[in-house]
Amino acid sequence: MPPIIRTENLTKRFGNFTAVDHLNLEVNEGEILGLLGPNGAGKTTTILMLATVIRPTEGTAYVGGYDVRKNPDKVRELLGVAFQEPKLLWVSTSWDVVNWHAKVCGLSTQERKRRVREVLEALDMWDYRHRSVHALSGGMRKRVEIAKVLIQRPKIAIVDEPTAQIDIVGKHKIWRMLRELREEGTTIILATNELYEADVLSDRVGIMHRGKLLVCDTPQKLKDSIVGGDIVEIQFESDPSPKIVEELEHFREVVKIIKTKASTLRLYLNRVEEVVPKIMSTLMKEGVAVSSIRMSEPSLDDVFAHYTGLTLEEAQKEGG
Amino acid sequence: MKRRRKREAKTTRKLLYVVERDVRLFFQYKVMVIMRAIWFVSQIAFFGLIASRMVAVEDYFRYYVGGLSIMTLYSAAIFIGFDIYEEAEHGVFEYLLSLPVTRRQLVLGRSIGGGLRAFIYVGPLVCISLYVIGIVNPLNFLLALFSLFLFAFGVSGMSITLAVVIKSSDRFDILMGVLDALIVRLSTAMYPLSFVKEANPLYGWIANFNPVTFAADLFRWGAGIEAALSFENPLLPFLGIVMFFAFFTFLGIILYDKTIEGGGWR
Repeated sequence: MPPIIRTENLTKRFGNFTAVDHLNLEVNEGEILGLLGPNGAGKTTTILMLATVIRPTEGTAYVGGYDVRKNPDKVRELLGVAFQEPKLLWVSTSWDVVNWHAKVCGLSTQERKRRVREVLEALDMWDYRHRSVHALSGGMRKRVEIAKVLIQRPKIAIVDEPTAQIDIVGKHKIWRMLRELREEGTTIILATNELYEADVLSDRVGIMHRGKLLVCDTPQKLKDSIVGGDIVEIQFESDPSPKIVEELEHFREVVKIIKTKASTLRLYLNRVEEVVPKIMSTLMKEGVAVSSIRMSEPSLDDVFAHYTGLTLEEAQKEGG
Repeated sequence: MKRRRKREAKTTRKLLYVVERDVRLFFQYKVMVIMRAIWFVSQIAFFGLIASRMVAVEDYFRYYVGGLSIMTLYSAAIFIGFDIYEEAEHGVFEYLLSLPVTRRQLVLGRSIGGGLRAFIYVGPLVCISLYVIGIVNPLNFLLALFSLFLFAFGVSGMSITLAVVIKSSDRFDILMGVLDALIVRLSTAMYPLSFVKEANPLYGWIANFNPVTFAADLFRWGAGIEAALSFENPLLPFLGIVMFFAFFTFLGIILYDKTIEGGGWR
């Protein structure tokens, strides 16, 4: 199946500043693609180009087979966007905002009423629907913004930092609703600078930095791509013999072994979930007693650091 | 054929939603709406009454009330340009541009919405004017109302066009002040054409081709204030208003499309 979104050298320059630099990206139908990167990485500019709000300086993008330059009207028919900053006029009420959005996106009266109520209730916003936007908290405004897309159920949903400023319970609700949206057939682009959000929601994650897409794959493969990124710490009941250390070194996945304490070995390896059972069976065969084993795999922060040389926090500071 | 009709219906519906949004939005600025109504009534009750005693023009009070209605319609229709800046400031512009509506639907809808809301707003005020003036010929008045409709759309189209071209709310604010002074003062909204010509023939020439003059005089003609009309055939100002409406609506669409598409408004 051809990708539902494909960008070809998509570039946006604002004067001398290149916000997005020759971006080549493919999004498959029905997936959640996380765009992970610090502020200023080019995620929002990419989104605005895909949504035909701004025109690329160079290159183009195909959304649902339509060129964003040549058929912007057709592209917009397929999209629903929840922006990073809630786009609301302060005199409007939440109800006005979502109800009008549903109307203009072509929902029938009955469907509109049902979905507006359903989504506002699910987001705990029903009781506040007649309050003007200026009386709502930042988190509530953000909920109204995401509600627009959840009500619309577009073919392609673009959500830019959907849970920023939202409490943890609200975050989980929104994540669940986004997953449900995907199950109903919507392809989702999730732009975020929250590692956990990208990890738990995305089928694939694209890491952006300074306008470039550095890498794009499943979270697991990205983590596995860090050679020796997984760590296993084995505490033996007595000092491990050199023969045991040698045998462990023979595993293809093991990159490095450090003896941290007299009876503890730290193994830097790949694909921890596959290799640990093999290690355990070797140790059992050799009759070596193990008192504890601790595993950890790299986070997306490690992946980001691996590809950029910076932690996400450092990159955030750099991007302002 | 059926599909085409369905598509057209969908297009019209979207256009109407854009219109609806602007109309609803206007009346959410309750303080502004109330203040302008107070201003209108004060102008009639104080300025109109007092000034008519010192002006030698026959029936000047009724003349002034007619002109004031058009000035209020003009300033209410201009308001849409300020909305555009407000929306740009709150990022709502980006939202509107991402919606499944064409740029044409958006600018036409906004132009109509801006005009319609001004018309709805001025409606009760016009009723006050009519109470003061009285209607002589209802048919004439209906034609005059229709031309005021077009005038309001034209003014809101002009406001949108200038707002997207200027891109700075401060400059727009200043320009609107200057434009108000030029368009309204160099028209027959407040004084008959003969006096304008007498003051300066160039002023008279400008006032003669001014859409505010067309609207003010058509309104007076419709309301039966026959004294000091600047035309003999009402068709001429009517055509002038149609041209004004068409020019700014279509120019608005073209400029909006060119300026807005691609983020040029930023």
